[in-house]
Amino acid sequence: MKKVKVLILRSAGTNCDYETKTAFEMCSAVAEQVHINSLIENKDKIFEYDILAFPGGFSYGDDIASGKVLANEIKNKLGDKIKKFSLSGKPVIGICNGFQVLVKMGLLPEPKLFKQISTLSYNNSNKFECRWIYLKTEKKIKNESNCIWTKNLPDIITLPVAHAEGKFIPLNFKLLEKLNKNNQIVFRYSTRDGMVPKYPLAPNGSVEQIAGICNTKGNVFGLMPHPERYMFALQHPAREGFAGKYGYGKAIFQNAVDFVK
Amino acid sequence: MFKIDIFTKEEFKDSHGERVLSDILSIGIRDVKKVDYFPFYIIYGDINKSEAKTIASELLSDKITEGFKISSGAEKKSKSSIIEVLYKKGVTDTVSESVIKAIKDLGITNDVKVKTGHKYYLHGNVSQDVLNKIAVKLLANILVQEYKIK
Amino acid sequence: MKNKTNCSAIEILNLSDEELIDLSVKNVLSLSLDEMKSIQFYFRKLRRNPTDVEIETIAQTWSEHCKHKTLTGIIEYTEEKYSKKIKRTYNNLLKETIFKAAMELNKKWCLSVFKDNAGIMEFDAENGVAFKVETHNHPSALEPYGGSATGIGGVIRDILGVGLGAKPLANTDVFCFGNPGIKDSQIPDGMHHPKRIVKDVVAGVRDYGNKMGIPTVNGAVYFDDGYMANPLVYCGTMGIIPKNKIDKKVNSGDLILVVGGRTGRDGIHGATFSSIQLDQKSDVGAVQIGNPIVEKKVLDTMLKARDLSLYGAVTDCGAGGLSSAIGELGEKTGAIVYLDKVPLKYGGLAPWEIWISEAQERMVLVVPLKNKKRIVELFKKENVEAVFIGKFTKDKKLTLKHNGHVVASMDMSFLHDGISKPKRFAICKIKEEKVQKSIKMTSVDLSKTLKFVLSDLNVCSKEWIIRQYDHEVQGQTIVKPLQGTDIEVSGPGDASVIFPYTLVNGTKRGIVLSNGLNPSYGKINTYKMAASAIEESLRNAVAVGADVEKMSLLDNFCWGNPNNPEILGSLVRAANACYDMSKAFDIPFISGKDSLHNEYSIGGKKYSIPPVLLISAIGVIENVANTVTMPFKNDGNKIFILGVTRNEIAGSVLAKIKNIKDGVVPVVYPKESKEVMKRIYKAINNDLIESCHDCSEGGLVVAISEMAFAGDKGVKINIDAIRIKGRLSVAETLFSESNGRFIVEIIPKNKSKFRDIFKGCVFAEVGCVTKDKYVIFESQKDKVKVKEKSRNLLKVWRNTISW
Repeated sequence: MKKVKVLILRSAGTNCDYETKTAFEMCSAVAEQVHINSLIENKDKIFEYDILAFPGGFSYGDDIASGKVLANEIKNKLGDKIKKFSLSGKPVIGICNGFQVLVKMGLLPEPKLFKQISTLSYNNSNKFECRWIYLKTEKKIKNESNCIWTKNLPDIITLPVAHAEGKFIPLNFKLLEKLNKNNQIVFRYSTRDGMVPKYPLAPNGSVEQIAGICNTKGNVFGLMPHPERYMFALQHPAREGFAGKYGYGKAIFQNAVDFVK
Repeated sequence: MFKIDIFTKEEFKDSHGERVLSDILSIGIRDVKKVDYFPFYIIYGDINKSEAKTIASELLSDKITEGFKISSGAEKKSKSSIIEVLYKKGVTDTVSESVIKAIKDLGITNDVKVKTGHKYYLHGNVSQDVLNKIAVKLLANILVQEYKIK
Repeated sequence: MKNKTNCSAIEILNLSDEELIDLSVKNVLSLSLDEMKSIQFYFRKLRRNPTDVEIETIAQTWSEHCKHKTLTGIIEYTEEKYSKKIKRTYNNLLKETIFKAAMELNKKWCLSVFKDNAGIMEFDAENGVAFKVETHNHPSALEPYGGSATGIGGVIRDILGVGLGAKPLANTDVFCFGNPGIKDSQIPDGMHHPKRIVKDVVAGVRDYGNKMGIPTVNGAVYFDDGYMANPLVYCGTMGIIPKNKIDKKVNSGDLILVVGGRTGRDGIHGATFSSIQLDQKSDVGAVQIGNPIVEKKVLDTMLKARDLSLYGAVTDCGAGGLSSAIGELGEKTGAIVYLDKVPLKYGGLAPWEIWISEAQERMVLVVPLKNKKRIVELFKKENVEAVFIGKFTKDKKLTLKHNGHVVASMDMSFLHDGISKPKRFAICKIKEEKVQKSIKMTSVDLSKTLKFVLSDLNVCSKEWIIRQYDHEVQGQTIVKPLQGTDIEVSGPGDASVIFPYTLVNGTKRGIVLSNGLNPSYGKINTYKMAASAIEESLRNAVAVGADVEKMSLLDNFCWGNPNNPEILGSLVRAANACYDMSKAFDIPFISGKDSLHNEYSIGGKKYSIPPVLLISAIGVIENVANTVTMPFKNDGNKIFILGVTRNEIAGSVLAKIKNIKDGVVPVVYPKESKEVMKRIYKAINNDLIESCHDCSEGGLVVAISEMAFAGDKGVKINIDAIRIKGRLSVAETLFSESNGRFIVEIIPKNKSKFRDIFKGCVFAEVGCVTKDKYVIFESQKDKVKVKEKSRNLLKVWRNTISW
């Protein structure tokens, strides 16, 4: 059987690389933490991998703004390769700081465009907050979205968030409509019953409670919550599992690994 | 030398400014009606205006929510009071190191030096004494930072 | 001018005693006359004056911060109890109490005790866990943000510098602050308002800890006016280290490599500064700004070099900077250092400044010649600066050169052992504690008091702080600091458990972290404060599933001025309690730290802080699946109280609120409580316990209410069923803070198995979990009833600190 190879991109300040690596390994992929300097030295190495992951953390201390310095570095030094990888249809995921990087270099919402047309801005509470939240995937989106990462999930799931800059803002209303029309908004913050939440269940004030989006093709996915922190039931505050002893994060990573297989 | 001020566009929430305002209210000062927060960057070195513009638009400001102003000398007078906070000489300015790296990544290879600071526009009729109090009690730690009231 | 050095000789050979003292004060050396005379004596033998570099090196090495000379010095102690006097002389208080207990207990699973940067106990056959807690009080008073950030940064480096380096898994933080509600006008000039201190200290720990990617999972906050001008900031880090990476080796000929941050004037005199009382003109240089990303890069790369065995020893640059780090590493060999090779942030530093600077984020590695090239390349690959600055010699001397000139040359033996032992006097008058006048309350009073206690600063929710920390980064926090059956409600977890599954392949084991802290008891009786803190830390850990036979403790003393015999006497008492309890519970201390001279002056008058002994506990759990949380789980389940309630109100939250002056401070009965703890472990591992919560600040009524609102449940308690000893009113029963008690929730069908396990212990069934979401405490006998909505109590508990 083919082993699925995952590249976990690491830079100064990356800090969720171990658990992201372990998450993929729990889905029987082979994951490798690669420092950006070594990838810049050997750019085509990226094509040896099946999945590309941008893990959470505080790349370069989130100086200037979250993800900004790393997004700028990647765009200027690895831009072509990252774009080519994404357009090839291979799965790409950005989690938390990784999502911020994807959005700020413009790989999301659309790698073809590769231009920043949305942002992740300061939480309305103006502080870093770590808590568990509910996420909703609407039935319609689930059925019609191309997103390869979120297949077969229940309507409401729980995951933890931990960020200070997670408020998703699209450039304009037209873009928001487009994201909606193309079923790119795969996760929204929600109440337990699927209603529109208030703070703190709406942790940051995102436009339309957006928590995670994908590109139109569905292979590039970014989200603020941390699926890698909910791989098994014990990680949940009330130790609830999904499909037995697993966490919802497991399903998300498994989707991508199965897609490659 | 270029000074680049970053501001939150009108239509977006300036969370930092709002928090400073609530802090000001919490120490019993009611003269300030609104606070606008501007981070700023002073860039020294051999760069031209168009490079400064690239740095401001590509790096220092957010494409969606923020705008920038570049000045190279004296600033225009503002109607509101301004408190500027900067690190004292010799205190490590960690953000400036990241900015220098990022400017190089942008392809601007000339050596630059960067200083970062915070600027607060305080709207309302605020006396010099109160401004000093706000600066010392809330905005600057005078042990490592210096502040200017404009 | 090439080859220039700005180093000067300091006249000392011909100084009088008075002039020696003047010199110490003028140069911020913090050395006593005896110590200055030892220096004079040494240099008279050498027939020359010392250089400024040498004087500064000695001052750093001999500082209170590095040498702990008060607690390792001679103490003449007198204890007065009911006009009877007992005298005892300590030649080294720590060695004769805390350390002695560890030696006597001699646990084979303790892998490193009181010798390295942190204590290490066994995790499994291949790994150990290292734990260290530090204080960073003085800098945090002056610059709360930078002070606390560098505090956490420093203790993380302790863990990086233990053995050949451990990987940090979790941070802890404990703070003591002044009342954040105090009026601005009551704050003396030049001091920060407690609320600003709280906000900035939390922000400092948040920014540094979060950016390091280490979850801050355990802590405590204690508010008291005594800490207004002198807040206490304790930061701890726990890490995991392979057993074969615990020993350090320094060979003559090995190279000295400094990695990480550059050296600047930061923190000059930080080590000596921590021995001086605070005033408003305190030294500016002592405050530093941290850069967590530099430290994160050092962490990432250094552990790679460790796993490739590229270096033989490492230590952090903490207090005293390179001076302390290299002085320690080269104690047995000798070392030569070329100060001009040290990478600097900016020019203009004098050689002595380079040598003692406490610039952050630096580690010193001992590299065998053969690995010279490989190790530098490894650091370079990830943009970490790494520069060789000297080597270890055979001559047992410390030699420092700058631009070709020798600027210091001293014997290592003088530097490390030349210090004269100070002698201090300590006295402790033990006061008799009397039970207070019986406290009677009506139903309405009881309800009101419950809400007062829940909203008290020292009981209320610390969610505002905890959620700003990424307490779940690394994904391994499986018992969390805030616990709730639903993600919308929460209560205070007793301890946290880290499950290192991403690092130790296939493991089932976990590491439990907890703490105990009771400064309010210390105001009356420091022996009981220490004993209670020890027991509380153990109870907290046991409540989540720790095995009390596999635990270790850390001590952190923060005390006032030890030159005051009564203050020092109260410390001796606390240290004695540590010995007694460590022996009685059969649990060793593996590391510790003290911060003395926590004294400040306002308007010329000097004040010492109320003494604090923080006890941090660490334990290894065999199977993380067998851990429990504190929220009530299911309607109809039975509630038991384990342990006995005594009339122990002194120092309690109730006593503070009701201004009760008399009363007895809670006593620790180690035999009784250890038995209960052992059986809880057994019951948890037999899957008999649904939830468990330690009973401490605020008493039974608080613990039970917390379990109810964290579980979004109701509860009905029969007060008359509570097991008490002595005469207690209802209010005293509910609010007494007796040690040794736990609340547990049991499924009805497990009752008999549960009773079997606890046979011989004091325990009682007191009520059940109910569906109606009301918290009810009722006594038929006294005809009182407290009835409050569970969600309402949650709100009361949450509202005090929500900025």
